[in-house]
Amino acid sequence: MNTLGVRTLFSKEMRRFLRVPGQTVLSPLITTSLYFLVFGWSLGSRIREVDGVPYARFILPGLVMLGVVTNAYLNSASSLFVMKLQGTVVDVLVSPLSYAEILGAFVAAAVVRGLLVGGIMWLVGAAFTGFGVAHPAVATLLLVAVASGFAALGFLTATWAASFEQVNFLPTFVVTPLTFLGGVFYSASMAPPALRWLTRSNPVYYLVEALRWAVLGRSDVPPGAGLAVAAVLATGALAAAYAVLRSGWRLRG
Amino acid sequence: MPDPVVRIRGLSKRYGDFTALDRVDLDVVQGEILALLGPNGAGKTTLISIVAGLVRASEGEATVLGRDVVRDYRFTRRAVGLVPQETNFDPFFTVEETLRFQAGYFGVRLSPDRLEEILHALDLAGKRHANTRSLSGGMKRRLLIGKALVHEPKVLFLDEPTAGVDVRLRQQLWAYVRLLRSRGTTIVLTTHYLEEAEELAERVAVIDRGRILLVEGKELLMARRGGKTLRVSLGAPIPELPGRLAAMGARLAEGGCAIDVDAPSEGSFGPVLAALAEAGLPIGDVETRRARLEEVFVSLLGDGAAGGAP
Repeated sequence: MNTLGVRTLFSKEMRRFLRVPGQTVLSPLITTSLYFLVFGWSLGSRIREVDGVPYARFILPGLVMLGVVTNAYLNSASSLFVMKLQGTVVDVLVSPLSYAEILGAFVAAAVVRGLLVGGIMWLVGAAFTGFGVAHPAVATLLLVAVASGFAALGFLTATWAASFEQVNFLPTFVVTPLTFLGGVFYSASMAPPALRWLTRSNPVYYLVEALRWAVLGRSDVPPGAGLAVAAVLATGALAAAYAVLRSGWRLRG
Repeated sequence: MPDPVVRIRGLSKRYGDFTALDRVDLDVVQGEILALLGPNGAGKTTLISIVAGLVRASEGEATVLGRDVVRDYRFTRRAVGLVPQETNFDPFFTVEETLRFQAGYFGVRLSPDRLEEILHALDLAGKRHANTRSLSGGMKRRLLIGKALVHEPKVLFLDEPTAGVDVRLRQQLWAYVRLLRSRGTTIVLTTHYLEEAEELAERVAVIDRGRILLVEGKELLMARRGGKTLRVSLGAPIPELPGRLAAMGARLAEGGCAIDVDAPSEGSFGPVLAALAEAGLPIGDVETRRARLEEVFVSLLGDGAAGGAP
């Protein structure tokens, strides 16, 4: 194994996003803080509690999930896409790094960014709603799996994409709608039948619920469902990204 | 002949119906500078990209130091450095960081001495902490060469190294290529600048439409294919050539003010000069000019086109 090679690529990816913290860490933090303020405070004063949990505390796991998913995805997607655009992807392709090593380094750095943003978001939210986490190990495991899956999806999208618009396709048209309709801001059991049906057929809902269980100790559905979705997502996306990288599609002539 | 450093056998690359490389055989010898010469789209970049691992062959095999470039890619890529045609840079990082990252990908820790050496050799020492975005075009190109050298490759592929580069930088790059060669690095450069091949290479491989038309020592190629021309400038114009000179293949030039005679590279102009003296023509000046690689190249491509016709 080319250990130094993997460590170098990982460290390059880390430095890349840490060098522009305003864009990569601060901006998602502000967005989520705004969600938290607007939904948490304004709605919280009316809704007060969901199943015995204060509303602001109820929405926090979903917001953290949104932050982790978006940032893990965007890190690998924008980095690989920019490398393709600038031609620097050649530097990696001519090196003795294996496909698994390249993918591993990209995904690991993206997971770190996802968890970093998610972690800061949680700290900010928890300052208002309490720091207690019911099952921290499960929460970490779940977030690492979800972040790996979305980092691999980001890698796949960047491999395919020919424009920034295409890179933004997944977060804009898939992730955001699925998250908003995934019970981040509401409990499926409280929703009208149509929305309830829509929510329950949305895989992101199970991820949000599993994190809710891990953080709050309660959820509408058993956490096993969310963990299973995360496991399938991570394995599927990583396997697909590996297969595509190996095939050389759009990267190697 | 020693074992070649790079050995290419039956290498083909097809993109759909388009054949970029057609059953190419080529050996690159230890310590030489080989110029891969051909017009745009001839297949030069495809060929070196396959050896460097950027492109996959449709057929055939390529080995570096006896190891297959696909099966033993970790070994062969450590032995190969590629300077791509298009300059690339990552605007997030400085010159030094860029070089350190590139060495790291190859599993090499860049020692302070080696870093200094590369920075100085490529005249980038003053820019080591500069963001790559701030570099001039020439500096970016030199940084590309630096990146290809960080892991001390045995074979360096330079893809059109001086395309769009000014004369001074071109001379600098050539000098550096010669220095690398003197230290034992084998160098393959693709170029469509004949001057570059003529200046640097010991052997020339001419490639056109995916096929190698010829591989030969530059001197031998010039001697065999290239001839020389004698030009005699006359003191006053003459209306027509004396019969004896015409029989020797001489022709009038410059509106009758000069006479040109071609001869093979090893041929002699003695009889021509004797005939000139005998004819009593007013000789102003005499010069001989050897054919440049360019003319050889054009004649070869002409042959290749003729050979390729149905």
